[in-house]
Amino acid sequence: MLASYLNSLTEAINRRMGMVLIGLGVVVTVVFNLIIHVQFLPGPVIFLGRRLHWEATLGVPSVLSVMLEFTGGILWLLLSTLAAAPLLSSTLDRGWVELTLSKGTSRWKVFLGRYLGGVTLYFVAAIVVAVPIAIRLWWQTGVSSWPLVGSIAFQTLGFAGLLAFAALAALPRIGPAPPILLAMATSIVSAILAQREQGLYQLLTSRWSHWLCDWLYRILPKTSELNGIGVTLLHGYKINSWWPIWSTGVFMVATLGLTLWLLHRKSL
Amino acid sequence: MTNPAIEVKDLHKKYLTFSRMEIPALRGVSLRVERGTIFGLLGPNGAGKTTLIKILLGLCAPTDGSAQLLDSHPGDTGARRRIGYLPEAMRIPDYMKGPAFLRYMGRLNSIPGSTLKKRIPELLEQVGLKGVKKRTKAYSKGMLQRLGLAQALLNDPELLILDEPTDGLDPLGRKQVRDLLKELKATGKTIFLNSHMLSEVELVCDQVVILHQGLVARQAAPEEFTRGTGEYLVRVAQVNDAVRAAAATITGAAAWTDSTLSFIPRDHTQLNALIDKLRSVPVEIVAVEPVKHSLEHFFLKVVGAGEA
Repeated sequence: MLASYLNSLTEAINRRMGMVLIGLGVVVTVVFNLIIHVQFLPGPVIFLGRRLHWEATLGVPSVLSVMLEFTGGILWLLLSTLAAAPLLSSTLDRGWVELTLSKGTSRWKVFLGRYLGGVTLYFVAAIVVAVPIAIRLWWQTGVSSWPLVGSIAFQTLGFAGLLAFAALAALPRIGPAPPILLAMATSIVSAILAQREQGLYQLLTSRWSHWLCDWLYRILPKTSELNGIGVTLLHGYKINSWWPIWSTGVFMVATLGLTLWLLHRKSL
Repeated sequence: MTNPAIEVKDLHKKYLTFSRMEIPALRGVSLRVERGTIFGLLGPNGAGKTTLIKILLGLCAPTDGSAQLLDSHPGDTGARRRIGYLPEAMRIPDYMKGPAFLRYMGRLNSIPGSTLKKRIPELLEQVGLKGVKKRTKAYSKGMLQRLGLAQALLNDPELLILDEPTDGLDPLGRKQVRDLLKELKATGKTIFLNSHMLSEVELVCDQVVILHQGLVARQAAPEEFTRGTGEYLVRVAQVNDAVRAAAATITGAAAWTDSTLSFIPRDHTQLNALIDKLRSVPVEIVAVEPVKHSLEHFFLKVVGAGEA
């Protein structure tokens, strides 16, 4: 599995989208580092641009929350999915699958290694975006933000759930489009379902549609809520509800388990 | 008696279409590949060769019947570590370089890093890719085939399954592969060879099976396929009525085509009598050749009979 995992990382770096993701991460972190500055008046005050400013203990989590909103946002999820999903579909490419899956490593290990490579790609890219500025602010203000790693881990869990669904969609071997579309559709639907009482239920009034939406919400990964939990954690508050975390974890494990079981039985 | 390298018994495989229609790919294939031999698998397109190989490698499951490789079932990862496989339509990701590709293949077979460090340069030299630094994207078809062959040999396999190993190679490359196969056989390896190059199969294989419409149509040693027919062609410098009359006294109503007489003698004495008779005409005898069928001839006959 390690061989497959390392190979997926090499492939991710060599694919254009992988480079775009990491490159964009670097650009974002550089730009943010340029527009954020710290002044001592006499205590440390963080300025975002010229006018928006906070006292350091509030400013550090606020700035990092902006970064988290970015890495948990739809654009970043789209880019990450575009970079990671082809790692799964390419595993089953004709002519390549015969080489890799005829070797002395089980199918599930090869595929799981690739999946973990995709998840790592997202995690590393999010770290590239958020961690340099966190280190700089800690250095300049003395306000540490260790919960950031936990916040990024929760976001990564959300992405892992999406990617597990993408893995399932990769099994029919019709290229990277179905996994990408399914993952993106799930993240959008999940965000809508999280706010269903304020939005969707105004449009859908029947009881069965509410019942359907409730169940869909329960089953699907909860990416937007995991972002919210990450921000909460960053501000030093307790996690109010563990439900989005464990339900996304269950979804990820169940979907991945189903995918690996189907792959094991699949005629290639 | 040692167990065979491959044993297949009454193997069936049906594919299901979207409309739930069953398409039989294998309809009861049985064969046995002895250790230390080169076994040739022949058959027209759609005969079930690739399906058979995929079942042997555990890439697809049979509908019925059984298959064993190196005393294990096809999906066994331990057994697969002792097998080298070169697929027909191999595709290597563009970004990889030869050594990196081999390293990955080796790691999937749990070959230790220290062994790979030593073995990869050796193999690259053996297949003629030593010093090639470019990415596989820039490889020619022949170079890719050589690299594929190198990955199949990486784990020093007991059993090699090669699907069209000379595809894309020039005549020199084909000869190198043939020599390599013979060398491997001499070291006790078993080779299962699927090739459309019938002349090659004829040259290297100990046993040949012809698969047709999902069934074993024939299995024999190549010599049996190409054994002499008993017919001789006697070619003379010039044919005229005197020559024809002289030949007829020995052969009866024999068939002449231009200056060549085709004739099935009872024995060598009758053949010698014909030669003496012709020389007494006199006429110059240019050649006396026994008629032998090639494997291709036999293959076409078997496949043609099946089609009919």
